[in-house]
Amino acid sequence: MSTGERPDVDPVTGHPAAIVYQDVWKAFGPHQILRGLDLVVPRGRVTVIIGRSGTGKSVTIKHVMGLLRPDKGRIWVGDDELTAMSDRELRRVRLRFGIVFQQAALFDSMDVFDNIAFPLREHERLKEAQVRERVMALIAQVGLRGSERKVPSELSGGMRKRAGLARALVRSPEFLLYDEPTTGLDPILTAAMDKLIADTDAAHPDLTSLVISHDMHAVLSIAHKIVMLNEGVVVHEGTPDYFTSSDDPLIRQFLAGSLDGPMKV
Amino acid sequence: MSPPAPDSASDTEARPILPVRVVEAAGRFVLGWVGGLRGAVEEVGRAGVVAFWGVANVFLPPLRVRLTIQQMEFIGVQSLPIILLTSAFTGAVFTLQSHRAFAMFGAQAMVGGTVGVALTRELGPTLTGLLVAGRAGSAIAAELGTMRVTEQIDALDAMAVDPLNYLVKPRVLAAVLVMPMLTAIFDFVGIVGSYVIGIYLMHLSRPEFLVRLGDWVDWDDIYSGLLKAVVFGFIVGVVSCYKGFYTTGGARGVGQATTSAVVVSSVAILVSNFFIAWAIP
Repeated sequence: MSTGERPDVDPVTGHPAAIVYQDVWKAFGPHQILRGLDLVVPRGRVTVIIGRSGTGKSVTIKHVMGLLRPDKGRIWVGDDELTAMSDRELRRVRLRFGIVFQQAALFDSMDVFDNIAFPLREHERLKEAQVRERVMALIAQVGLRGSERKVPSELSGGMRKRAGLARALVRSPEFLLYDEPTTGLDPILTAAMDKLIADTDAAHPDLTSLVISHDMHAVLSIAHKIVMLNEGVVVHEGTPDYFTSSDDPLIRQFLAGSLDGPMKV
Repeated sequence: MSPPAPDSASDTEARPILPVRVVEAAGRFVLGWVGGLRGAVEEVGRAGVVAFWGVANVFLPPLRVRLTIQQMEFIGVQSLPIILLTSAFTGAVFTLQSHRAFAMFGAQAMVGGTVGVALTRELGPTLTGLLVAGRAGSAIAAELGTMRVTEQIDALDAMAVDPLNYLVKPRVLAAVLVMPMLTAIFDFVGIVGSYVIGIYLMHLSRPEFLVRLGDWVDWDDIYSGLLKAVVFGFIVGVVSCYKGFYTTGGARGVGQATTSAVVVSSVAILVSNFFIAWAIP
């Protein structure tokens, strides 16, 4: 795929390609993170990127919003080629995205309501009553009713992530990115967050989701497509069934969380 | 068990001969120097970007009026207690000391005028700048630094909101607007402090104090002090925002950014004060 044309269809799901990475390279100083990444994210599906820490998962997700620019290679979001865009044009593309950060990244100075309302107030000319209606609906959807006037320091980790998800959804984005949405949560909250992601996907059939996760139980339950990164390239991609039935030692080791295998600590 | 004896032959082979070591040391020195120079150039470049966009963004929408007023309240109104306290005591101490010195020549009548000129031209803007750097500049750097390390600035970028417009512009603009106001208050309260000590403690002649003050302090002194205040406000705003905006390294990085913001702002204020005083006689 590296030297060919941009693919129109995802080979794993058969769905149209929404995001395409083609031969993307990225280094930070002497550290080469991405080494010719080729990846297709199917439209309207949930794609989960797995892989060990430091293999370039977060770097991959930051490239698609133009928060990082590749040293080499091309990235398309729909028909827009990001690598050829100015900062101003990238900002226009970012309006099509929502992102749930690893630590939620809520603004300390605002309460939950104002955090969720922030993208609406910045980008849409709505009356305050309309903002309130939309924000309160989302607050109810993510189970934060009664907490809208709490500031982030008064919230638990799970509540912060749910508020982050509501903020990401408030402008009805075309693409939703999750950067390790269950990191730091206990098993119950992890299950609740997984259900929320699955419910969000079910409620928004046109939403294209790209998730980074280490939580293999969640990966297998929410993903339509799984991509495994290792040392900056895609080493495996397929459906959850492909991963659970694979005999590949890399996949077996990762799914089992074992120290024995081709990946060394 | 005793440690194995060192292999003297292999040790000799591993250690390069003296000329090679000298060349290596020279090479390391040059590389370190070039690396340091490169780092300094990068830092000046990034600070320049913050300064440029801090100014250019003033004219670009959205205007951020509400955020600017909030920052004016934080930098200006919340700095008032420390400004009032410092200015009153500065005027009082300066009066005490100058009275002692002038008494040696029987020229105590000059105290009012001397204190007035010193406050309006130098002490007012400089001390106000240093106080604002210490109180508000450190808080700005800590706030933006924390936002950086907790991905809040990345979140702004991700939501297609220009962080320089949203975070830097209101702070730089507010610092530039409130510094002349704080300086004017510093000047006035400092002179009142001087008057109280001069008249009621040193028993100076009231008419002489006021006449000298009126004769010696003219509008140019006040204008030059206020002009300095504008420059110092710009310095505090840009340096604090820059240090916070480019914070790296978690909580330790936030602490370093905060300290660095105060130190760099204070030095820049003192150095630029010299050049402005030189340029404006």
